[in-house]
Amino acid sequence: MYRLMFKQFFRSNVVILCLLLVSVLGMTGILIGKQFLDRQERAAEQVTLYQQEHIERNVNFHQEEFGLLMYYLKFALINKPEKMAGLSIGQSDVNPAIQHVTIRNLEGQKYDTDLVNPSSLQSGNLDLGFVIIYLLPLLIIVFTFNLLSEEREVGTWQLVSIQSRSKLKYLLAKLSVRVLVILALFVLLLTAAKLVLGIPLDAAFFAFFLLGFCYIIFWFTVCFLVVVFQKNSSLNALTMLSLWLVLAILLPASINSYVSNRYPVPEALATMIEQRDGYHKKWDSDKRETMADFYAHYPQFEDYGMPEEEEEEEEFTWLWYYAMQQMGDDEAREESDAMRAKLEQRGKVSRSIAWAIPTMHVQLAFNNLAGTGSTNHMEFLDKTNEFHEKMRLHFYPRIFDNASVLEENWEKFEPEFMEKENAVEWFRLLLPVIICSGLLLFLTFLKLTLSKQKGQW
Amino acid sequence: MRKETVLLIARHFWVNTFKTKAIYPLMTVIFGLLCFSAYTGWTNYEKQTEIRSHYQHEARESWESNPDKHPHRMAHFGTFAFRQKYPLSMFDSGIESFTGNAVFLEAHKQNSVNFSEASLSTGLLRFGELSMAMILQTVFPLIIFFLGFSAVSADRENGTLKIILTQGARWKEILMGKTLGLMALTLLCLVPVGLLMLFFLIAEGGDAGLWPRFFVLGLVYGMFFMLLSMVTIAVSTSSAKSKNALIKLLAIWLLLVVLLPRSSQALGSYFFPSPSKVEFQSVIEEEIIQKGDSHNPNDPYFKQLKDSVLKVHQVSSVEELPFNYGGFVMGQGEKNSSVIYENHLNELMQIYKKQNSISELTAVINPYIAVKNLSMALSGTDFAAYVDFQDQAEKYRYELAQKMNELQMEYISPAKVSGSNGKTHVVGKENWSEMPDFHHRFFSFGRAVKNELLSLISLVLWCLAAVWYISYLSKKAKSV
Repeated sequence: MYRLMFKQFFRSNVVILCLLLVSVLGMTGILIGKQFLDRQERAAEQVTLYQQEHIERNVNFHQEEFGLLMYYLKFALINKPEKMAGLSIGQSDVNPAIQHVTIRNLEGQKYDTDLVNPSSLQSGNLDLGFVIIYLLPLLIIVFTFNLLSEEREVGTWQLVSIQSRSKLKYLLAKLSVRVLVILALFVLLLTAAKLVLGIPLDAAFFAFFLLGFCYIIFWFTVCFLVVVFQKNSSLNALTMLSLWLVLAILLPASINSYVSNRYPVPEALATMIEQRDGYHKKWDSDKRETMADFYAHYPQFEDYGMPEEEEEEEEFTWLWYYAMQQMGDDEAREESDAMRAKLEQRGKVSRSIAWAIPTMHVQLAFNNLAGTGSTNHMEFLDKTNEFHEKMRLHFYPRIFDNASVLEENWEKFEPEFMEKENAVEWFRLLLPVIICSGLLLFLTFLKLTLSKQKGQW
Repeated sequence: MRKETVLLIARHFWVNTFKTKAIYPLMTVIFGLLCFSAYTGWTNYEKQTEIRSHYQHEARESWESNPDKHPHRMAHFGTFAFRQKYPLSMFDSGIESFTGNAVFLEAHKQNSVNFSEASLSTGLLRFGELSMAMILQTVFPLIIFFLGFSAVSADRENGTLKIILTQGARWKEILMGKTLGLMALTLLCLVPVGLLMLFFLIAEGGDAGLWPRFFVLGLVYGMFFMLLSMVTIAVSTSSAKSKNALIKLLAIWLLLVVLLPRSSQALGSYFFPSPSKVEFQSVIEEEIIQKGDSHNPNDPYFKQLKDSVLKVHQVSSVEELPFNYGGFVMGQGEKNSSVIYENHLNELMQIYKKQNSISELTAVINPYIAVKNLSMALSGTDFAAYVDFQDQAEKYRYELAQKMNELQMEYISPAKVSGSNGKTHVVGKENWSEMPDFHHRFFSFGRAVKNELLSLISLVLWCLAAVWYISYLSKKAKSV
């Protein structure tokens, strides 16, 4: 009977057409992911080459003054995407993966954006994550909206009621055919993605698979609940599509608009102005005050001393210059921390609401697994701070002593890569979707018992 | 065609729709959504405008509060340009959330426009954005399809169609009447949105282009709903069963609203790859160095420039010139690098435009895209509006830098060739407030329409085609 069911299922042209369409879009998604990874890889190579050339040229020009040289030199920190990023590009098209900074004031540099086409950002990436989150549910809807109603409409349901021992079992068997087909498509696409993108078979990939699996099951439970209400095909299609619209577009969009309205980030603009004023206004203020503030931050440099004579007040020194630059960061610290806290709050609120809405949860979780979410970017910003501080502390003494430029081993300054630790939190990952599916199954069961009591089943 | 019959059928369709129970919860949900998006659109506009004006003001105050100092210090002190929101952005946020909002303007350096809403978002933004326009564009088609899919086919299924026809109504009258009835229903939703917007806009005020923009927006959505109503009635008429009509309409929605837009933009980005930031910047840097590197003390271009200047003024050293040579060199450098930067930026914008072109071309076959593009353009939130802001900011930056260079040439002693610190070689602070502040201006209504002419023409043609198809159907339609 199972074989017959498969045969019957694949006899429909619509089914074949839809399967083909989603497979093609899935493959396109994988290729787009591949293009994204290649692009990131190329950018990393370019920055490596560029940095080498850039250091060489500037070292050549500015051999006498270490301070002037460091005004120009830029060092790169790269947030190299995992291969999995090709599956779910997430926020990594908006947020730059390369920080390219001088040792001057960091707050004025680290929020610089990448070059991206805003129109493409708006329409979003067609990656495999999109295909799984948006399109597979649509496919599930197409496959199940007339699961029962069609039999009623063409009159075969009566036959089934008489011939099969359990109508429910028959229906479940029919449903399982569709589940198997969708799961097969899902596995096929993931395998193709693994091969094309070269994803290692690690915990994150397995978690991605399991979450996708649960998500598919979730949508089947949604559709099955609609089916057991035994309405006609058109009403079913409409109900399911409306549910999809609400879950995949309207709810997430409303929540996003709530979160961004509730927590605006004026701190971003405040940081921007504060870091400029913090540094630039020092040119006109008391030099001794600036130096005192600088030594308060870095007591280890106190030995370099204060400007003593009147004429020294007018004189330009690199020590003073970098102390002023430091003040840009120090005075913007408060606003910058407030901004970070605000962003974290946004993330926290979004994640907790997402618990109840599988589409949102899966999107955020996919991004998280692929290292393309906002948490990953915040980590990158933190690591940029550390990286910048390391560079600063390395070069400050050399600048203040005006050490010999040529004695520095410049070759060792290659772009650095961010170290990431990624542990999968299985419960947090899977539980929300499992609970939602369980709840729907319970409702289905409830509806079925009720219908049986009323003799409608 | 008799007017009374058409109106009678329209009224009948209307009354019948309100007899079904489903319409009331549906309308409630839609009105709820519209109100919520109107509220968030309005508060977001208010908040963001306030925040940006506040900081624009603060930045200006900080600029003016500078004491007497060397103009080159002021050129680096720089200022900020904050992108203002156009009042209609509360209706359609377009690509605004994905474009930067603030840029630091200083000498020698074109900074990126930073802090887009997307860069501060958790990733939920990618599901799409809730705005009144989004609801009208994506949810409304579904509603119209739902209200009208059985308009003709149900009458055929239960035999009333035959009765109406034998009573003397003509096919054309029936189809026109049903379309009219359906359109009237959509207007029931469109009018409150229009009034709501009208209320907000009167409260907010705006430039001269605001009212024509508003009026044409209303027209565009009116046409869109008319088109959708006609398509619904046409599909309902040509389908044997109501069920088939609905499935066909839902498939059309999926294809045109969900699948096609994202795929076409993705294809655009796939076929026209844009350079990475490092690539973009290093090419510019290289070209500037080739032209003349003002940071290289032995650069031939600037050496030659110096020699020719000295020759013209018949002096032997820059200290003897009647103006400050440092200011002159920086002015030249600024000019060279700006031209080079502008060329490359234009190239990049051309690539972006090419990426967008595939999606824009689909406006011809997809009226949803036509409406989306028109709506963004009229609301001042499209790609062109953003590029315009970028250009304005860069133009202001250039003027600011050159103004400071001129001050340096004129007022700083020719003897002070390099360095800008200290309190001896300075210019009076009254000069700072003389430099006018940056003002973001929106381009005219005419230009917005011109940018989206293709979409406008395609929408009009679609409507004409639909009218033609309806009248064609009225000759072919069958009553059984």
